[in-house]
Amino acid sequence: MLILCLILFSPAGIVVLQALGQTSEDVAPPGINDTTGGMVNRADHQINFQQKLALVVLLLFMASFFFPFYLARESRISEDIQRGLLFLNLPCVLLLLLPPLLVAIYALLKKGSLSDAALTLSGVLGLFFPMMVLAIVGPDITETYGPLARYSPSSGMYLYLAAVLVIFLMKPKFKIHDLLGIALVASAVLFVASQGSYDRLGIVLEGRNLGSRITQEVLAHIRLTFISLGISMVIGIPLALASFQNKRAEKIIFPFLNLLQTIPGIALLGLLITPLSTLSQTFPFLRTMGIKGIGNTPAIIALSTYALYPIIRYSFTAFSSIEESVIQAAKGMGMDSLQIWSMVRFPLAAPGMLHGIRVALIQTLGNATLAKLIGGDGLGVLVFEGLGQASVDLVLLGMLLIIALTIASDRIFQIFIHLVTPSPLRGKAVGNG
Amino acid sequence: MKEHHTHPILTDTHTFLTAERISVNYGQIAALQDVTLAIPANRVTVLIGPSGCGKSTTLRCLNALVKLDKGSITYEDMGIQDLNKTDLRRSMGYAIQSVGLMPHLSVEENVDLVPRLLGWPKSSRKERVEKLLSLVRLDPAIYSKKYPHELSGGEAQRIGFARALGADPPMLLMDEPFGAVDPLNRDQLQDEFIRIQRQLKKTVVFVTHDMGEAIRLADFLVIMKDGKIVQADTPEQILSHPADEFVERFLGPDRSLQRLTLFTADQWMEEAMSGSKEKAEETLGECSNQTYWQLDDQGRPIAGFARVGDTISRRLVSNASHWVQQYSSLKECVSKILNLGLPSAAVVDEEGRLCGEVRFETIQKISRD
Repeated sequence: MLILCLILFSPAGIVVLQALGQTSEDVAPPGINDTTGGMVNRADHQINFQQKLALVVLLLFMASFFFPFYLARESRISEDIQRGLLFLNLPCVLLLLLPPLLVAIYALLKKGSLSDAALTLSGVLGLFFPMMVLAIVGPDITETYGPLARYSPSSGMYLYLAAVLVIFLMKPKFKIHDLLGIALVASAVLFVASQGSYDRLGIVLEGRNLGSRITQEVLAHIRLTFISLGISMVIGIPLALASFQNKRAEKIIFPFLNLLQTIPGIALLGLLITPLSTLSQTFPFLRTMGIKGIGNTPAIIALSTYALYPIIRYSFTAFSSIEESVIQAAKGMGMDSLQIWSMVRFPLAAPGMLHGIRVALIQTLGNATLAKLIGGDGLGVLVFEGLGQASVDLVLLGMLLIIALTIASDRIFQIFIHLVTPSPLRGKAVGNG
Repeated sequence: MKEHHTHPILTDTHTFLTAERISVNYGQIAALQDVTLAIPANRVTVLIGPSGCGKSTTLRCLNALVKLDKGSITYEDMGIQDLNKTDLRRSMGYAIQSVGLMPHLSVEENVDLVPRLLGWPKSSRKERVEKLLSLVRLDPAIYSKKYPHELSGGEAQRIGFARALGADPPMLLMDEPFGAVDPLNRDQLQDEFIRIQRQLKKTVVFVTHDMGEAIRLADFLVIMKDGKIVQADTPEQILSHPADEFVERFLGPDRSLQRLTLFTADQWMEEAMSGSKEKAEETLGECSNQTYWQLDDQGRPIAGFARVGDTISRRLVSNASHWVQQYSSLKECVSKILNLGLPSAAVVDEEGRLCGEVRFETIQKISRD
């Protein structure tokens, strides 16, 4: 089987290499004047770059075939049994070879609708086939290792999916047929899942075990993030204003912020235990409010401390980058200082400030995972539970949820920023990000 | 009742605002020292000098953007120190070099800013904006909804000017308003400024470092150096009697050419001979100091005929470097005359129709006086 891969890949690789060599020699045929020659050169260079990427994809694909594609376990805690492609039947392997072949074809074809179609098809199929492989091996696993057996994707499949990711990133723009293809794959996967083909997949089993705890922890994660972000904004924006208006305040606030940023997250959580527990023991009423050395309170304090930096930094920059002439004109036209703030400074600084809040949001969503370490809630619970029980699937489930949550909130926040930014300032906001 | 003091130099008008021995220090540096200045009403006062001479500081004292360390400024018999700063500023239009248009507001909202601050009713504000945009020759239908970043430098400057005129203030302060515009656009903006100023007769204080611009626009020219006034007089007086060597040097070697910028074409325009091509020789006769202009069916000059010795020569008039407008300076007329090689320059109106000519002979006569 491996030999088969090599045979299939090596000609493709050689052909691509040859193509790379050829195009660089063929640049600017004689008879074309300088300016068009330059353009040809540049276009060629772009094709070269795409072909190089294609080569990277092919290498990734090739590597993926040498690693275990999935792993099986007889029960949750038993040892991993690595499974390579050798355990798959020939049609499966041939299908998995189809996407790399399409990429090679894309690299060899001239840029056009045909090569575009090859790339899209290879991306979509590259998503579809591994999912189907997982569906097919499921029943096989229970048959071989008994009813308690479970299985997970392994390094080979991750490499394979990484190659597919690069394929999608190679596209200059996501077109409608790309989305359509992905939607088709998603619906096919959902259909197969509804037939129970993924029931023995480790991550599915973990998710099922947790049941409603997943929603609970997701909500806790969101709550933790938003409370911290809120506190950070309430403290950070006035501090940004203070440092903008007062040089001395700036000289105190920024070094302090930089210092805070250097403390590792876990260390800060640990540092907070002693003062907070002392406080709550001295003042019992604090304890009734939930302020203790461990739990969500220290987590929120730490998270909002970290979120301060982007919020203050971005707001400060947003205020300082307003052109002085605009403020001079506003003053000269007779705006009082309140009007200058409300009609000029705040509206102009808003996109920059919102960007800072967005960065803080993303950062806090990630950092909130650490809350578990001090007894807080959130998706960190899944991750650290998984680490404790040596269950990679559980860790993976937690990670995937955090990633999904982060991407979704980022998107939503970006749309929000877009909506509240006056249209002439929109270009600038993109530049910041 | 307001008392009107006659302006000490421009005797045909009164003093609108007086600065009495004002001094301003920026830290250790004395930006203004004991400056006394009377701004004539309904006239253009131009402050000029090398950079760092205090011209901008003087301007910014007038609307209290800079605090006086000594001296006083009196405005309609009131010291500006006693007036509310924001009220004072709203009563003066302010236009600056970098325009300072609010990037997040549309053209309409920018022009509307001071009336809005003053709390004018909405209906009259909308009308006002349209009127102002038309005044600076920008079609309200096209420009109202645009944003500053969509404007060219010249357009932005016009909007800045329109905004300064927003609440119809009696006084305009302009700090190098045309400084950031290319020379061609600057000439045009100056033309526009002269046209609008003749119409509105505002009291204008204008800061520039461009001598040509200063002589062209000023009714009252103030030359400054090192925080002091060196000479303050009408441009004619300054050109013919510079106070000292510094002023002389500052005016430059081409003083007689500069002097021509004092006059606009319409002041010295004479009736021009024009008609169809065939009549050229007959109409021109023996006259060698005039041009016969061939017009198209809309009355725009397309060629000029002039007698050179025994022959009649014909020059095609094809672009803006061949004619002048009513508010162009005589200096520009000279350049156009040289461009075409005819004895006079065609003066056209806004639609490009011939309305007269400025003869080289006339210009010579002016420079001799």
